[in-house]
Amino acid sequence: MAPTPGFEYVRPSSVEDAVATVSGDPTAAYLAGGTTQLDLVLKDRVISPQRLVDITRLPLRGVTRTSDGLQVAAMTTMEELAADPTVTRELPLVREALLSGASTQLRNMATIGGNLLQRTRCRYFRDPTVAACNKRDPGSGCAAVTGHARMHAILGASEHCIASHASDLCVALVALDAVAHLQSMGGLSHVPLTEFYRVPGDRPDRETVLEHGELVTAIGIPLLPPGTRSSYLKVRDRASYEFALTSAAAALVVEHDVIRFARLALGGVGTVPWRAYEAEGILVGAPVSEGAFRAAAEAAVNDPFTVSGTEFKVELAKRTVVRVLQTVARNAS
Amino acid sequence: MTETKPAPTLLGAGVDRVDGLSKVRGEAPFPSDVTYPRLAHAALVRSTIAAGRISRITTRAAEEAPGVLAVITHQNMPRLERGPATLIGPSPVSPLQDDQVFHHGQYVAVVVAESLQQASAAAELVDVEYEVAAGVFDLDDPRGELRVDPWGSGARRGDVEGALASAEVTFEASYSTAANTNNPIGLFTTVAAWEGDTLTLHDSTQWTANVRTTIAALFGLPEESVRVHAPFLGGGFGAGLRVWPHAVIAAVAAQVTGRPVKLELTRPQMFTGIGYRPATEQTVRLGALRTGQLVALQHHATIAIGIVDENPEPVTLISQSAYACPNVDVRDDERRLNIPPPGPLRAPGAAQGTFALESALDELSYKLGMDPLELRLRNYAEVDAHSGLPWSSNALRDCYAVGAERFGWAQRNPEVGSMREDSWQIGYGVASLSYHWWQVRCEARATIGRDGTAFVRSAANDIGTGTRTVMTQLSAELLGLGLSDVRFDLGDSTMPWSPAAGGSGLTTSLGVAVDDACRSLRGKFLELAVQGPGSPLAGCSSDDVVVSGGRLHRKDDPGVGESYAEVLARHGLDELSADGLGAPPDPAQTGLALSPPFAAKFAEVRIDADLGILRVARLLTVVDAGRILNEKLARSQIVGGTIGGIGQALFEETSFDPGTGRIANATFGDYLIPVSADVGDVDVAFVGQPDPLTPVGTKGVGELGLPGTAAAIANAVYHATGRRLRSLPIAIEQLY
Repeated sequence: MAPTPGFEYVRPSSVEDAVATVSGDPTAAYLAGGTTQLDLVLKDRVISPQRLVDITRLPLRGVTRTSDGLQVAAMTTMEELAADPTVTRELPLVREALLSGASTQLRNMATIGGNLLQRTRCRYFRDPTVAACNKRDPGSGCAAVTGHARMHAILGASEHCIASHASDLCVALVALDAVAHLQSMGGLSHVPLTEFYRVPGDRPDRETVLEHGELVTAIGIPLLPPGTRSSYLKVRDRASYEFALTSAAAALVVEHDVIRFARLALGGVGTVPWRAYEAEGILVGAPVSEGAFRAAAEAAVNDPFTVSGTEFKVELAKRTVVRVLQTVARNAS
Repeated sequence: MTETKPAPTLLGAGVDRVDGLSKVRGEAPFPSDVTYPRLAHAALVRSTIAAGRISRITTRAAEEAPGVLAVITHQNMPRLERGPATLIGPSPVSPLQDDQVFHHGQYVAVVVAESLQQASAAAELVDVEYEVAAGVFDLDDPRGELRVDPWGSGARRGDVEGALASAEVTFEASYSTAANTNNPIGLFTTVAAWEGDTLTLHDSTQWTANVRTTIAALFGLPEESVRVHAPFLGGGFGAGLRVWPHAVIAAVAAQVTGRPVKLELTRPQMFTGIGYRPATEQTVRLGALRTGQLVALQHHATIAIGIVDENPEPVTLISQSAYACPNVDVRDDERRLNIPPPGPLRAPGAAQGTFALESALDELSYKLGMDPLELRLRNYAEVDAHSGLPWSSNALRDCYAVGAERFGWAQRNPEVGSMREDSWQIGYGVASLSYHWWQVRCEARATIGRDGTAFVRSAANDIGTGTRTVMTQLSAELLGLGLSDVRFDLGDSTMPWSPAAGGSGLTTSLGVAVDDACRSLRGKFLELAVQGPGSPLAGCSSDDVVVSGGRLHRKDDPGVGESYAEVLARHGLDELSADGLGAPPDPAQTGLALSPPFAAKFAEVRIDADLGILRVARLLTVVDAGRILNEKLARSQIVGGTIGGIGQALFEETSFDPGTGRIANATFGDYLIPVSADVGDVDVAFVGQPDPLTPVGTKGVGELGLPGTAAAIANAVYHATGRRLRSLPIAIEQLY
């Protein structure tokens, strides 16, 4: 059945007001999650909230340096965060991930909170004329697994869903153990981004741990140990303005050609931003070497689920990991 | 006798677009800008199956929705014949005529309402049930009807099989090209308004006159009762050459509701409703002597086509006459599939065919151990093999020579995989190309009024290429007026008849008509200038008088003469007009083959072989298009075509879902076209001389930038890596 057009538009005056409005109304939704939310409501007609709660005027903007990192208010734009002095100096992987996403025009409008909560670009999810989509209609199946799946995920994927998480920024953020600050009726809570996204399993419709009405107000980004080098590498067909086929964020501390600290996460291949803990374990203590990088890459792309059209991503993702590690190690030594 | 200096020419120079300012200011009226009092809006409902029939269609909820004026389905749509055939092929099949469904996205209903929002909302309430049949979507699926040489365009000369059997070197390979969508930025729009039995249409079209003829025939109206306005188009790339179903639906919707109706397609509808470049599979077989001389060339294509529509797509035409070869066999076959009807997209046929032919030539050059450019030179066609006549003009060898020099072809190390820079492998590639443009009959009219300025017009279309500008230049030159004293207008069906802005043919067709009109008008003024009391030129023969600076004056004494305005005033006339007719030259009389434009295309690619990343660093096109009326605009055409070629080579693929035939990437987020960062150094140079067959001397440039781009890139990829890629688009997974 087609969604019912028409909705009420609300512009609350405070965070508390916004949270109360959405929490108290199961048919309400934040007008958030980037432009994709508007697309999904108005253009693609995938979701049909009865009440849209506009948070764009709430005082949730700016980057603050804290004792152990950065606190980024949710409405800070991508360009603002990319230009932040700490990000520029100490977190190149964040800056590079931000600047590899979208276009300058979009980054001047798009927010960090919106980036976290953007919905997948899977065309099978976004077209209601496609019947089979477990994310849109739980239990209906997944048309993408037999469709054009080149842009889809191979990690955290299954026959239930292969929709990829499109964010570049979140790949860097999960590598950094960033923390989402959530406001609910019960107060403020903190969830590590690595636990924020749900691997779809047989419930692809449940994408995050957010409860209805909970609002992301900020992201906490811890700083890296002194001497860390980092980078983000994005592989795609176009030179700009395209989602990743594969990507990787890496941070290393190298002392005397031995890796002392490692962070690694993958994008373009995961149903969620994909942290590669096992690969990090392989890297720490290993000498800087092609062999160690390849072993880490093998571990990072462990047990992929592929369909026709995504097989190539297994090897490409591994090579992406090796290349980003080479780049970071070269800068680190 | 005094020598007069020739007036500085207005032609050739990079004159700015005469309508540029109005576009930048947002004043130029594009079809989607048109509005009327009491304008109603239409929203289309499209099929969600690709094959079968509508078993039930329920419109009640939509009819009862707020603001809805009408819901039209095949059950209440007026019965319409198919539109008449045109110069470029049959009309599309008329919409909403029965319950049959032949492709995903086919229109099954239209909702007309007071607002677009109401129409769109109600369109979702139209409930359609289908009886689904098995669809056929693959070019190699034998269930799809194969039509062998349906247009009779196949051609043979000599004995290809015999020549292949005795050739010193032979080569054979198959190539494939994906479907590509036109994607003009302007969403196609039709605004229809009836007044009694007359209909006014504002339409996104490349061919005003054809819209009038087709709509008049469909509605049984005299042509004078249909007026079509199309002064501006937000890009077409061939999509505006036919009267597509949405335009017919808009006219019916306005008739049924008694209201002016606007129908603007959505971006996804632009993928299914206005044609697109069909996918092809092609086989090329070559036979050659060790010297490189071609002795056999066979080029066969299978082209995707819809179930009920037609689309002449001359894929192998180029192979008939591209090279001197005594034994040739070319043929275009079609396979009917449950896909939206294809149509023209920039360089139709040649875009796909040139990729196969020029890739195959490149492969042969490596097999022969010969420089790919040298192989092409050795097979230069001295005459048009198609007609057997000498070319009217052909500077292809200059294209090769100038291109090689400008590109630095000599720096190419012929060894495959030998050129590197850091992690990048570098390759150079070349392709040769031409495009079979067409010149047809065209009309224009020129008028000079009491204020001494000229108004020249034709029903032609300016699709962003600069027709208004070059015709203003041409008229000004011929009438001896400054650019600001000439207004050229177009895009109105009440103006003199013009063929389409397509097939690289309009500038010459229209240019010849404008030339004729302006010369006639000048002649009429000359006659009047030497007549009557008070004429300063009395007693002169018209041979003694020339026109410049808005004045008719003695050739040997520019001080003696009078202005256009003075001539009119002296004779008590408000204005003077002349009609012009352009007709294509007849090869039987001229003894010359109407030459196509020619070009050579050079590419440099860089490949990160580990990650499969391919970047096109440089593309050079050297063009012989005869006389260039405006180098700035002509260059812009070639640059734009080249960027389209990058898209065809690397990114563009209209993907059909297996089983359902839904287009899986019908948005700009999913269907990739080149962005600025993908376009490296794109260089253009012009060579050659005015073509002698017409007074204007032009050959077409519109299509020429695109064909050969993909071949040059693929050939460069081979040179860089040793990987021969025979399938477009070239994707990362083919490269690492």
